[in-house]
Amino acid sequence: MLNIKIVTVIGANGAMGAAVAGIFASFGNVKVNMVSRTLNKSMDGIEKAVKSVRADSIRSNLVARTYEDLAVCIHESDWVFESVAEDYEIKDEINSVIARYRKPGTIVSTGTSGLSIEKLKNVFDEEAKSLYFVTHFFNPPYSLPLCELIPNESADQETIESLKIYLEQVLIRKVVVLKDAPAFLANRIGFQFMNEALQFAELYEDRGGIDYIDAILGPFTGRGMAPLVTVDFIGLDVYKAITDNLYHSISDLYSNSFMLPQFVDNLINEGKLGRKCGQGLYKLDRDSTGKKHLFVYDIKSQTYRPKIKYSFYFVEKMVAAIKESKYEEAIKILLDNDSEEAKICSYFLIKYVVYSVYVTNEIAYGIHDADTVMAYGFNWVPPLALLELFGGKEAIIEFMKTDNRLIPFIPSFNTSEIFPSKLNYRRYLRAKF
Amino acid sequence: MRRVYVLGGEQSDYERNWSKEGKSLTGMFREIIEDGLLSTNISIEEIDKLNVQNKIGAFIGNFAAENYLSQGHLGAFLTEVDDVFYGLPSARYEAACASGSVAIDAAMAKIKSQEYELAIVVGIEMMKTVNSKLSGSFLGSAAYFEKEAEGIDFPFPNLFSKLADVTIEKYNLDPNRYMDNLAEISYINYSNAKRNPKSQTRNWFMNKSQSSQRKTDSNPLVGGRLAVSDCSQTTDGAAIVFLASEEYARDYCKRNNLQLSDMPYIKGYGHRVAPLTFNSKVRESINEPYLLKWTRTAVQDAYVRSGLNVEDMDLFELHDCFTSSEYASLSCLGLTQPGKEFEVIESGLISFKGSQPVNPSGGLIGGGHPVGASGVRMLLDLYKQISNNAGDYQVDGAKNAMMLNIGGSATTNYTFIVGKD
Repeated sequence: MLNIKIVTVIGANGAMGAAVAGIFASFGNVKVNMVSRTLNKSMDGIEKAVKSVRADSIRSNLVARTYEDLAVCIHESDWVFESVAEDYEIKDEINSVIARYRKPGTIVSTGTSGLSIEKLKNVFDEEAKSLYFVTHFFNPPYSLPLCELIPNESADQETIESLKIYLEQVLIRKVVVLKDAPAFLANRIGFQFMNEALQFAELYEDRGGIDYIDAILGPFTGRGMAPLVTVDFIGLDVYKAITDNLYHSISDLYSNSFMLPQFVDNLINEGKLGRKCGQGLYKLDRDSTGKKHLFVYDIKSQTYRPKIKYSFYFVEKMVAAIKESKYEEAIKILLDNDSEEAKICSYFLIKYVVYSVYVTNEIAYGIHDADTVMAYGFNWVPPLALLELFGGKEAIIEFMKTDNRLIPFIPSFNTSEIFPSKLNYRRYLRAKF
Repeated sequence: MRRVYVLGGEQSDYERNWSKEGKSLTGMFREIIEDGLLSTNISIEEIDKLNVQNKIGAFIGNFAAENYLSQGHLGAFLTEVDDVFYGLPSARYEAACASGSVAIDAAMAKIKSQEYELAIVVGIEMMKTVNSKLSGSFLGSAAYFEKEAEGIDFPFPNLFSKLADVTIEKYNLDPNRYMDNLAEISYINYSNAKRNPKSQTRNWFMNKSQSSQRKTDSNPLVGGRLAVSDCSQTTDGAAIVFLASEEYARDYCKRNNLQLSDMPYIKGYGHRVAPLTFNSKVRESINEPYLLKWTRTAVQDAYVRSGLNVEDMDLFELHDCFTSSEYASLSCLGLTQPGKEFEVIESGLISFKGSQPVNPSGGLIGGGHPVGASGVRMLLDLYKQISNNAGDYQVDGAKNAMMLNIGGSATTNYTFIVGKD
C-alpha cells in the first residue's frame, strides 16, 4: 500500500480541488496543503472541503497555503494533485514548478477532464514521468465516487497498481484504468448522448426542441436528470470546450454526433451559459409573488417560452410500470410503441449501449468499465445492465436492423465481446417523467 | 420439537431512496420477492404446489405503513406481485422496530406446529416518503405517544439519550469515557458497513474523530447527549428469509446439492415485553443489576432454549438503533457484567477482528434501519454468517450466532440463535 502522509492540492479553492482535498483529508486521513492564489481563497477551499464530505473532523488535516509556499509544500509532499484551469499553458507552468521542487518518489497527478497526459508530461524528467498520472474525479466526488486513472506511457507499472489500490481501498473510489484519449471514457459516452440530444432538439425544433427531447429522455430512461438539463447544469461554455475537443479529435462513425449545434454557440455568445448564469437552455424566473416559473429556449424563435409539460402515452405507461418495478414490461411498452417519440427514445437508449461498448473497447481494458464509469461517474443506468434489460446483444441487433439510423453501427457491435453486467439497472430507472 | 431451518433470502440495497426513484410499495415487494426466490432457487411452481396443499404461508413485518404510505393491509400485497400468491395465507405483524421478529416468530410457530412446510418472511418499510422530523414523529408511536412523544421533536433520540443518562448514573461511569465508548460503537458500525455491499452508509465518511466530535455543523446533537453519529438513520428497505421444516429442508438440500448438516437452523429464541414507558423501565430497574432487565431475560431465554451460552456465540447482530442501546445491550448478551460494558468495547472484543464481533454487517447505524425490515435482515445476516455466505463481512468459521431486535425503548425484546450442527 502506498504510504501517503502529505498531499498538496494546487487550485484548492476550485470546486474540484476543494472536494478532492476533502476526499484525501477524510478517507485518506492525510495532511493536505490547500494552495491557491490567496490565503482567503485557501480558507474558502477548506470550508468547501469540510462541507463536501460533511465532516468537521477533517478541518485539522487541512492547511491553508498560497502560491508563495508552493516550493515548501511540494517538497514535503508524497502526492501533488494539480487542479488548475483546463489549459495546456497554465498546466505546463504549474508543472514546471512542481518538477523543480518535488522530491524523488513523489506522485504527481492532474485532475484534467480531457487534456492529454502525453502532452502534459513533457516538462517532467524521467523519474517524475514514471510517477505522473491523470486522476479524473467527478463532481461532486463524495457522491460520485468514480476516478478515471490514466497513466502516461512512461509510468511505472507497479505504481499504477499500487495507486489503483490506494484509490480503491483508502479513498473509496471506483477506479478504471484507461488509455490516454480525448475526454477519457465517462465524458466521452455521456457527451455523445447529450450532444446528440442537442442535435435532435434542433432537428425537432418544430415540435418544441429542447424540452421536447428532454421529455423523451427523462429520468425514466435511467438518469437522475434529463440530458439537456444536465448540459445546462454543466454550463454551456465548459460543455462546448469538451465537445469541440472531442469533435476535432475523433474520426469514426460517431464523429458527427459531437458537432455542436449552432444555437448553442449563439447562446454562449449572448452570455447565456446555463444554470450558473440563470439562463441557458432553460431559464428560471420568479414572478412578483416569488413563485418560480421555468422557461425554455425556443430554438426556432430564439426566445424563451414557458416549458411545456409534455405527456406521451408510452412514457406514462412506462413510468407506471417502473413504479411497480416491472422493468421488462416498461421496455416492452417502449419497443411496441410506434410513435415518433418512442422511436427516438429507443434509438437513444440503444445507441447509448452500442457506443458505450464501442468506445470502451477502444480506450478501456475491460468491457465492464463501461458500466462502472456511467453508474459511478454520471449516476446513469449502466449500459451493459441496460443491454440485458433489452434482451441481450442479439435482441438489440435485431432492433437495430429496424432503424436505418442504427444499421451502420451493427457490424462493430456484432463483433464486440460482451459479458453480463456486474451491476443492476433497477435503481437507475426512475418512475419519473 | 421440530427444527426450523433457514434456507436463505435477500435484502434490498439500503442505500436506495425509493421515493427519489418514484417507486411504490408494490415495487419494493416485487423486487424483494423476486430476489429472494432467485437467491434460494425456489421456483414459482414450487410456491404454487405448496399453496395448493395449504403448506405455505407469508408473514409480513411492518411498523408504520399507514403513516408513511397511507397503506395498511400489507399481508395482501404479495398478490400484487404474482397471482401464484392468490389464496396463500399471508398477514402483517407489528411490534415497532421488532416487527420483523414477530413475523419470524409467527412463521416459526406455524412450521413447528406442522401446519406449514415453508414460510416466506418479509420485513419491509418505506420511510423516505417524508422528511426526517415528520418521520421522527411517526416513530414516536413506538413509545407511549401521548406521554413520551407528543409535541417532541425526535422523541426516540431523546429517549435513548435518557438511557445514556441513566446508564452513567446507575453504574457511576465517567461521562467522558462513556461518550467515547459510544463514539467507538458508532465508528465500529460504520467501519463494518464498508464491507457490506447492501449497507446504507458504505460510501459515507466516518472516523473516530468525527463520531467523537458532537455538537458540530456536521454532527449536531439531535436529542440530549446524542448526535447524528449516535443514531441509525431513516432508510427504505426490505428483507426476506425463507423458513422451512426439517423435512422440507432435507428435500431442498437434495434438490440443490447441499448438505442438511451445513444448513443453519433456529436453535433458540426469546421474546419478552418490558413496561411500555421508559420511566417505568427505569423505576423497575432500580434494584436490578441490569438496566434493561427484560432484554437480558429474552437473551437468557434463547440461551436456555438452545442449550448454548455466550461463549458458544461467534458473533452477534444487535439492535444499535442508537449507540446507547448497543452499549446497554452488550451486558444483556452476557459479554460482560452490567456496568462493565466499556471493557468489551475498549478491549476490541466486539470489533470485526475481535473474538466475538458485534454487527459485522454494520448493524442499524452502519447498515441502515428500515424499521419493519430490521429483524428479518438480522436473521438473514445470521444465515449468511452460518452458511459462510457473508462475503467480505464473513466472520471466519462462524457456527452459532445471536440476534437481538428491540421495539420501542427496549420494550419488545426478541432474540434468535441460529447455528448449524
